[in-house]
Amino acid sequence: MTAFSQLATIRRSATIQGRVIYALLMREILTRYGRHNIGFLWLFVEPMLFTTGVTILWTVSNASHGSSLPIVAFALTGYSSVLLWRNMPARCIGAIGPNLALMYHRNVKAIDVFLARLLLEAGGATISFITLGLFYIYIGWLEPPDDVLLVTAGWLLLAWFGASLAMLLGALSERSELVDRFWHPVSYITFPLSGAAFMVDALPTSVQKYALYVPMVNGVEIVREGYFGNQIRAHYDLPYLLIWCIALTLIALAQIKVVSLRITPE
Amino acid sequence: MPHIMQMPEKITGRFKKVGPLFLFTVIIPTLLATIYFGFIASDVYISESRFTVRSPEKSTPTGLGALFKSSGFANSGDEVYAAQDYVQSRDALQALNRKNAFTHAYSDPSISAFDRFSGFGIGSTFEDLYKYYKKKVDVKYETSSSIVTLTVRAFKPQDASRFNEQLLEMAEATVNTLNERGRQDLIRFAQREVDDAKAKSQSAALALSTYRNAVGIVDPEKQATVQIQMISKLQDELIATRTQLTETRTVSPQNPQIEVLVARAKSLSDEIDKQLGLVAGSSKSLSSRAAQYQRVLLENQFADKQLASAMASLDDARNEANRKQAYVERIVQPNAPDEPLEPRRWRGIFSTLILGLAAWAIISMLVAGMLEHRD
Repeated sequence: MTAFSQLATIRRSATIQGRVIYALLMREILTRYGRHNIGFLWLFVEPMLFTTGVTILWTVSNASHGSSLPIVAFALTGYSSVLLWRNMPARCIGAIGPNLALMYHRNVKAIDVFLARLLLEAGGATISFITLGLFYIYIGWLEPPDDVLLVTAGWLLLAWFGASLAMLLGALSERSELVDRFWHPVSYITFPLSGAAFMVDALPTSVQKYALYVPMVNGVEIVREGYFGNQIRAHYDLPYLLIWCIALTLIALAQIKVVSLRITPE
Repeated sequence: MPHIMQMPEKITGRFKKVGPLFLFTVIIPTLLATIYFGFIASDVYISESRFTVRSPEKSTPTGLGALFKSSGFANSGDEVYAAQDYVQSRDALQALNRKNAFTHAYSDPSISAFDRFSGFGIGSTFEDLYKYYKKKVDVKYETSSSIVTLTVRAFKPQDASRFNEQLLEMAEATVNTLNERGRQDLIRFAQREVDDAKAKSQSAALALSTYRNAVGIVDPEKQATVQIQMISKLQDELIATRTQLTETRTVSPQNPQIEVLVARAKSLSDEIDKQLGLVAGSSKSLSSRAAQYQRVLLENQFADKQLASAMASLDDARNEANRKQAYVERIVQPNAPDEPLEPRRWRGIFSTLILGLAAWAIISMLVAGMLEHRD
């Protein structure tokens, strides 16, 4: 009996939280992109421009990526996933401050702010990935993916990793400004290590083990295996990536809890 | 007495306090893991072997060696990959599973239903077996040391080492087949060259002798020399005759010898003209035949040289093939494990507990965050 009533309460609260997140999402879109020119389309045009730029750069410079894959496909799968895990923390750091005034409302919580921004970033990166993929396939630069489900799985795992990392850094940034200062260099240093610009299979066997310690590498490898199928030999450790995600989520949620207790709405 | 009576109530009270979420995420999974790892899971024995494919050091290719480089004599790297791929192929499984040996070993009733092949009576096709096989057999190639490690997991130590041994033998056979094939290709190619050259040389020799018989000349140059010598002798004689004629005419014009001498000189000069015509000038002369003769002769000589060089390369190819053998070198023989290394039972139970706790913490925090939203 009590369990049922509890479930009903949870469902009611979930509906409210959903509405709050949706409202925050809309507000975020409007404040960020406004209604000028193409408006919220910038959400995915921005990452598309990034990815296209990198693709062109890599194609022109004939970058060596240690595999026989077409460079366009390689750049698309690699750089899109970088955008996915790198933009989410960038947007979540210092997310509370500008929204502090909203906290005055009883139902707007710190986690809602984070979730709204995460949804927006993940959505933008995903739409950009899909649109670019379809476009490249249409103009014949790319073959359709080998296994869409596996690509989706890898993509979702990367998104989970990015989201939990983003929430953790976002919450920590409320406690110390150093997080913001450190994230920028760290995100640039991890870019070449993240598997976006190399295939693990191309590395010497002795180094492969260490490359797989970087959680993002595992995610990118899964996406690539889904995309290229048997053309490549993917190396990844799924349990390892999952443990990272779970641990990060746990710590992130705990930190949000701590931070939200300290927030004093204006 | 009342103390004991209160016990069950106390426990159920605790249970209610714990909440259904904790029950579902931590207690039940950990209980299941304890039951599985503690009572159900079968012991897994791991047999490991290591081997490497060695080929003698490559010498810098010279001349003919360079030629044979392109004829497809592979280095050992390719053979290692071939062996590796073969071990993980359906063919290898089919060979292992002769008389259903593999299926029997892995679907023994003594193995727990969760672990054995087709444990619940579903999925017993060959493809299912192949999927199962790939989980049990692992080949890893270490590029830096070029050592291949072959591991076989089985539920009996003998099975593990037996299958490992069989796979190792099959991998060796694969490398040997490749080798043999490469050798034969190399030699066959050279042998074909030799055969071709032989046929050519024979036909050229035949053409030369046919030509000689048809024209009736052995060697126009030598024959020309002989003929020219003859002509010069005739000319000497002609000059001598003419000198004698002139002398005789001056000394005694009525001498009856004069007519004899005139006839002689004429026949000499006729003979000279005839011989000269044989050497050069007419269509039947030696000089006009010499050109054609040279062509046939040259062809013959060329064919002989080609044959000699093809013979030499066949010899080289044989040497090369014998020298460039790749060997499968066993570094570690398949072992028969005397202790099951898997499943790591405590580790399994413990990680289920930890993961359950983490899931519980995450979900309860999320729900708590949700519940803060109120009308």
